[in-house]
Amino acid sequence: MRVPIMWLRDYVELPQNADEIVARLATLGFPVDEVIARPKLTHVVVGRITKIVKHPNADRLQVCTIDVGGEKTLTIATAATNVEEGQTIPVALIGAELDKGLKIAPRKMRGIDSEGMLCSADELGLPADWFEDGIMQLDASIPLGTDVVAHFNLTDPVLEVDVTPNRPDALSIVGLARELAASFGVPLREPATQVQYEGGSDDARVTIETLDCKRFVYQRVSGLRVRPAKAWMRIRLALAGQRPLNNVVDVSNFVMLELGQPLHFFDHARVAGGHLIVRDANEGERFTTLDEQERTLDPRMIVIADDEGPTSLAGVMGGLRSEVVPTTGEVLIESASWTGPRIRRTSVALKLRTEASSRFEKSLPVALADVGAARAARLLEQEGGTVRMPSAAGHAAPRPAPVTLASSEVERLLGFAVEAAEIERALGSLGFTVVREGESFAVTPPYWRGDVLISADLVEEIARVVGYEHVRAEVPAVAPQAIDGAAFERETELATTLAGLGYTEFVTLSLQPGTVADAWRTAGIAIPQPVEITNPLSEDQRWMRFSLVPALLEFAARDRALRPFRVFELGHVFAEAQPEPQERVELTALRVDRVPAFGQLKSDVLALLRAITGVEAEVERGTHASLHPGKTAALRIGETIVAYVGYVDPRLARIYDVPDDAALATIFVEALPAHQVAQYVEPSKFPPVDRDLAVVVALDVLAGDLARAVRGEPLVRSANVFDEYRGPQIGEGKKSLALRIVLQSDESTLTDEAADAALARVAATLRERFGAIPRA
Amino acid sequence: MTELEATLDALTARFDAAVAAAPDAPALDEVRVAFLGRSGEVTAVRRGIGALPPAERPGAGKVINAAVEALEAKLAQAQSRVELAELEASLGDQIDVTFPGPPADLGYVHPIRRVAIEIARYFTRHGFAVLSGPEIETEANNFDALNIPPDHPAREGLDSFYVRPDRVLRTHTSPMQARAMRANPPPIAVIVPGRCYRRDAVDARHLYMFHQVEGLMVGKGVHFGHLKGLLVGMCRELFGPDADVRFRPSFFPFTEPSAEIDVKCPTCRGTGGECRTCGGSGWIEIGGSGMVHPNVLRGVGYDPDEVAGWAFGCGLERIAMKRYDIHDIRAFVENAPGFAEGLA
Repeated sequence: MRVPIMWLRDYVELPQNADEIVARLATLGFPVDEVIARPKLTHVVVGRITKIVKHPNADRLQVCTIDVGGEKTLTIATAATNVEEGQTIPVALIGAELDKGLKIAPRKMRGIDSEGMLCSADELGLPADWFEDGIMQLDASIPLGTDVVAHFNLTDPVLEVDVTPNRPDALSIVGLARELAASFGVPLREPATQVQYEGGSDDARVTIETLDCKRFVYQRVSGLRVRPAKAWMRIRLALAGQRPLNNVVDVSNFVMLELGQPLHFFDHARVAGGHLIVRDANEGERFTTLDEQERTLDPRMIVIADDEGPTSLAGVMGGLRSEVVPTTGEVLIESASWTGPRIRRTSVALKLRTEASSRFEKSLPVALADVGAARAARLLEQEGGTVRMPSAAGHAAPRPAPVTLASSEVERLLGFAVEAAEIERALGSLGFTVVREGESFAVTPPYWRGDVLISADLVEEIARVVGYEHVRAEVPAVAPQAIDGAAFERETELATTLAGLGYTEFVTLSLQPGTVADAWRTAGIAIPQPVEITNPLSEDQRWMRFSLVPALLEFAARDRALRPFRVFELGHVFAEAQPEPQERVELTALRVDRVPAFGQLKSDVLALLRAITGVEAEVERGTHASLHPGKTAALRIGETIVAYVGYVDPRLARIYDVPDDAALATIFVEALPAHQVAQYVEPSKFPPVDRDLAVVVALDVLAGDLARAVRGEPLVRSANVFDEYRGPQIGEGKKSLALRIVLQSDESTLTDEAADAALARVAATLRERFGAIPRA
Repeated sequence: MTELEATLDALTARFDAAVAAAPDAPALDEVRVAFLGRSGEVTAVRRGIGALPPAERPGAGKVINAAVEALEAKLAQAQSRVELAELEASLGDQIDVTFPGPPADLGYVHPIRRVAIEIARYFTRHGFAVLSGPEIETEANNFDALNIPPDHPAREGLDSFYVRPDRVLRTHTSPMQARAMRANPPPIAVIVPGRCYRRDAVDARHLYMFHQVEGLMVGKGVHFGHLKGLLVGMCRELFGPDADVRFRPSFFPFTEPSAEIDVKCPTCRGTGGECRTCGGSGWIEIGGSGMVHPNVLRGVGYDPDEVAGWAFGCGLERIAMKRYDIHDIRAFVENAPGFAEGLA
């Protein structure tokens, strides 16, 4: 909300320095997003034009005699066309500084010495389009010679204040002034609302036909003459961001900004039948709002209708048909209270958000409707209007219920005590009624604080006024608890271990366009049905990721020039299912290297799994979407496949433009067993014997199966295939695999004979199981 | 002096001279061969034993062996002297220590994870448990349990992504408050790092996907000062030993009283001025907090008159941006080469 400090000063004594006000607002919970500085303005006084003559040497200039309250009048030439004798206007004296660095010096204008300048609103730093062309008009009631800058506090900055949605009462100048008064410990000067009623109560009629109109206060004011509003009002509205229009419409805007109660004024003469009905809009009903847009309504919206149909869109905008026009002499004030969400939905549906709707959508206090009408009546009376008694339809404002506050509650919640007297003062200054009842207080909130319902709310109010800085830092002793936090620890370990192995972690967006899944399917790769976002911001974000692979492949393509390229992501993936969408935690690693990367990635993943689970995973053939069907290993722990490693599916390699020799691994994080504590194996005291064994086998024999079989021999401590050879000496359809076998006994030093015998048993097993022929 | 002794003396003298004259290991080896080798001078002396006077012959072998031992000792001494000299000479050798080695095999965790890990470590050290939770949440957990009314704007699909009429991508980590409390009686002290979603258009300050860390502590005697104590400690770890925290009143439906958490700007150390990190205020906002609303406690079966608690939620990107002085949030998902490494 835009808050001119000058306007705050109408209701509360404030420090000169804006920074102090800004700091105080922040500690009260109203942070200032922006301080809009005002131009430097000096030496501008109130003057009156006593005489105007045509400039003898220039058709377009007039020479004015100006009374500025002193003995001597000033002679000032002006090109402005709106000057008339008797006008009260701002006069910049010689030496004045005005907006945009303009400085006023004595000068000759076509032979006449001009002793200053008559000011337009623009020169005083006000928006030129929103004020009269030419010289700004002031009220005749201001004494001549008054310093204009000081009188209007024209150089006070304007604040952009952030108001939380629970405080619609503070979306107003008085609301914020009240907060500042409480915090600075000074009184609040409430705006005047007394009027002299003339005539009996109103004969206008209002019928409410919807529960969402809680109260509708209406009041007639006649005898008005539409003209520009007084300067003080126009300046306040303009600096608050509201364009001044005329003395009648400006009052409704002024009261909305001043008190937070939006109003609507009907031109009473143009309310057909003098009877207003507040009702749900009809489906397809058409209506022209005062911004001259024709709108199509539906029953979600509320209208105020007269005999000719809708004439105002409740809580959002008035209608063109009954708006105040220059000939308006009598208005009907509407000051109503609406169910907030209803107004918000109307505003969203019509894409029409107004100052009024942005307040009403927060559900304003019902009693504010009466106050708003009374204030408007008072201001219209000052404009010469004759005010009738107000009438109201709907409910009376509910009486706020008292809230009990135990005196110990502040300390219980905040950790610091506030004395009873201070509690009374703090709450009292915000308008609460406080009655002490032994060890507690009965606190009745003021009508505008519908947000205060429980004692914790009161604790916040007290803390805001005494200051949150009283919260003392204290490190608590936390009681032991049995909550299992293993999942996060495991993810941390996975990520840091994989980083230690040379892989860098990526974070990628988890929503993606439908083209990702389409491309996979078109390539013939089966994937689960992705989860659809029903209200995406754009097509790029319609689907939740079904795999971490697509994003990593995209980055691999972007960083094609980098080899080695080793990255991973650890995060959630999603699949559509009934009744609930599925969500899994996966880790996908991608490796592109100078040499084909499968073997190294597999070793890395096995080492990772070993580190995390304490178990060596078994390697077998497997298939997984995203991986080459013939070049994929499944890694199994117990009965569970916990990961797949393989070369990228060549169809994906083509889609993403990544090399065929990129290897991918996906680990199903939640499937990993808890870490298993290994058992110590005492090393043998006797020396090991190394033997190499090469065997010729068919091409489809797996190295892993061969090694596993060799490990079945009791004397074998380890067995690993270290070489594969294919060539003419071996023959078609065959390959030679070389194994390094370590033999060792716990009982004695192995003799050559014993080692040879063990090796012979191994060779026999391999021949039997795999048809392996030992190679010389 | 016997004839043999005279012969050996003369031999020793020649040997000493030859050793002294030998400049390096190969020359010494030549000396060894010439005197002690198979066809060297000593061998010649042994062969001449038969020609010695008969009285000398019986002890001659011993005498020669003693002399040989002495020669070998001298030779060994000379050898180590020469080796040492060679080593000393090699101390003058140099290599180009700036010549690059092959790159180390080290990768890096993402800075968001790094920050999450550091926060988790800090809180676990103080007895907190770390929880994780689903990113697709029920409306009940994401909103209702947090005292957010059914007609709240966040629930109308403008600010939140929906995948079912009542399933939403969690808009904060706060639904884990309800999950954690329902599963555990008080006292409870947990933190929850995790990914969240809001329907924001992407720009330098917004991603529709971001990370938060939630904190929750509920028990008898738990008050807001405890949150401040722990947050000050957390921020000192993240931003340095002079970090400070302040609270400002705010509004969240699920806390009362509520507060924004400000941390003294790590770049300008609170001096403000032209500081780009904090925009000159000297403070940066890292999240929201407050005392858990009684309705939230009641909703999970806790008695708000018996126990009290606080909760906070901080944006991890926000913390990381301030910590590393990053000005565009998109950097976290662009994964530029060297990004994580540069912040390690």
